[in-house]
Amino acid sequence: MNSGYSNNNDGRTIVEKIVSRACGRKVSPGDVVDALPIDKLYFNEVIAPPAISNFQDDFNQVFEEAFGNIEQGLVQKKKNQKRVFDPSRVRFIPDHTVPSCSVMVSKGISLMKDFAKEHGIMMYKEGDGIEHTLVTEEGFVLPGEVVVATDSHTDTVGAVGALGFGVGTTEAEYALALGEIYDFVVPETFLFRADGTFKNGCCAKDLILYILGKMTESGCSRKVAEYTGDAIKKMDMDGRFTICNMSVEMGARSGIVNPDRVTEDFLKEVAMRHPELFSEIQDTLTKIPKISSDENASYVDELTIDVSELTPQIALPHSPANVKPASEVNDEVNVVFIGSCTNGRYNDLLQAARILKGKRIHPDVNTIVIPASRAVYNQAMSSGLLQIFAEAGANIESSNCGPCFGKHMGVLSSGDRCVSTSNRNYRGRMGSPDAKIYLASPATAAACAIEGKVTDPTKYLPS
Amino acid sequence: MPERALFQGKIVAKFGDDINTDYIIPAYLLQEAWGKKYFAEHAFERYDPSFVSRCRANASKDSIVVAGKNFGCGSSREQAVYAIQYNDVSAVVAESFPDIFYRNCISNGFPALRVESTKDLEIGDSLLIDLQSLSVKNERSNAELRIYMTFEERATLLSGGRLGKVKERLRERLLATS
Repeated sequence: MNSGYSNNNDGRTIVEKIVSRACGRKVSPGDVVDALPIDKLYFNEVIAPPAISNFQDDFNQVFEEAFGNIEQGLVQKKKNQKRVFDPSRVRFIPDHTVPSCSVMVSKGISLMKDFAKEHGIMMYKEGDGIEHTLVTEEGFVLPGEVVVATDSHTDTVGAVGALGFGVGTTEAEYALALGEIYDFVVPETFLFRADGTFKNGCCAKDLILYILGKMTESGCSRKVAEYTGDAIKKMDMDGRFTICNMSVEMGARSGIVNPDRVTEDFLKEVAMRHPELFSEIQDTLTKIPKISSDENASYVDELTIDVSELTPQIALPHSPANVKPASEVNDEVNVVFIGSCTNGRYNDLLQAARILKGKRIHPDVNTIVIPASRAVYNQAMSSGLLQIFAEAGANIESSNCGPCFGKHMGVLSSGDRCVSTSNRNYRGRMGSPDAKIYLASPATAAACAIEGKVTDPTKYLPS
Repeated sequence: MPERALFQGKIVAKFGDDINTDYIIPAYLLQEAWGKKYFAEHAFERYDPSFVSRCRANASKDSIVVAGKNFGCGSSREQAVYAIQYNDVSAVVAESFPDIFYRNCISNGFPALRVESTKDLEIGDSLLIDLQSLSVKNERSNAELRIYMTFEERATLLSGGRLGKVKERLRERLLATS
């Protein structure tokens, strides 16, 4: 597990620095940390209900015993003893299937609301946004933090320089009680260096799809993907979120970008919107230079990409790593989804709107546009993007994960061919196992919506 | 409940590489139950529709699933572990597992066993699995495979997960901070 890692110099990666800070001692890849303290924890409405239910079944007796003992020894009885490790470091976010599409989904959301109220946890409302978008937009997750959430796309928060890990129900349940994850193996880091300038029509999504095509679905297994190079340094936050988001598609434990001037500007905007976070963010900004990877850090492997060579990419059925240039594919398309934690942010919608402005979507294509958060929705409304989508003939839905995982809002039938800006095109992911799913950028998806077939978006853009 | 250290089982399914958790349990089901057993009847329903009936047909109730690289990739849904486990599957033997699925297996005391190659394992083979010596013996061919696992992983697996340890830690924490 520790093979190939050189410790010949003192240079350390951002991952090593974050984990070392979190556990209070210097660690190296391969080290096992018995109990890694986490900084932030969040739950969606898919996993919170079973996690809460198990939390109550597993720990209520322990709480009662402990509080019973405490109460006997105290002069004054303490009511409502704290059961969640630190409610201020936990968020509940109903985002996958909202507004609810079934009685069980509604029951789950009700359980979350009751639990959140009882334990003083902040819970967002249906439609506030997709979890990974909200936690960064709201400044809940900050650079240098160890973040755990019940979703594999927790790697998305790496875009702000946090170390995010997706976990299952049980680990999240234990973390809710104790604020730790156990037997954590410090991961190695794989460095992706993207240099050059994107061609017109190409963006972060094309880069990560290209990387996936090279790496396969297991090429970055058990490692964290760190992204650097001129193309990343020049990239806006929305693009960085897209890239970190899809790191898990090549097996990566997480994805991360060293925080820089772009991150700082993003955080300053967060602080201006949330005055209560001002001093915390001010403090974080001073720490940024200390958490970034050292120049002489060592990596288990490296891949260098010149993005100026890239053309718009598309992942073909049924793997996110089955990638080709969009110009080489001509397949018919009858569903387009623009949204998700991968590509539902403002700049993503802007790219799609540039293509769709003044155009009509192909009569055979059902196009669904879902902004990733209420803030994105409102911004897209006031700047006129939603009007462009509506006039082009798209369906615009309130913020949620949408059809990405096949439960609501556009479940695919056999024979459907969908171009989606989301992250997974596994067989059956969005509905019928006989449907075909393609993954592409918002610009490519918009061009596909117009033409009713896979289309390189370049021709719709001014050269 | 402590996991058995030595057991025998029959291979009921052999999969290739990159079997994702959507294939194991589709997402539309996840929010429809909070328990674990519910997911068993839907295991692999879109990917290998006869999986559940093959497990049920195995009278010894010790089924084993075999796969290539990267078994359980994709979504972090722990329901994928329950879907397999509650079909009386006693282990998954594969060439590699991604972290989230692997950790979810260990959390549930469910043996996810990494071996060098699963090439020579076939449906119907009877395997003798020894979690003390970390070996898998194919009773048809007599070939033996080594299981790669850390000390901590094995200890957790043999304790049936971390719940006991976690409860103890919580107890200590609550008393110390009172």
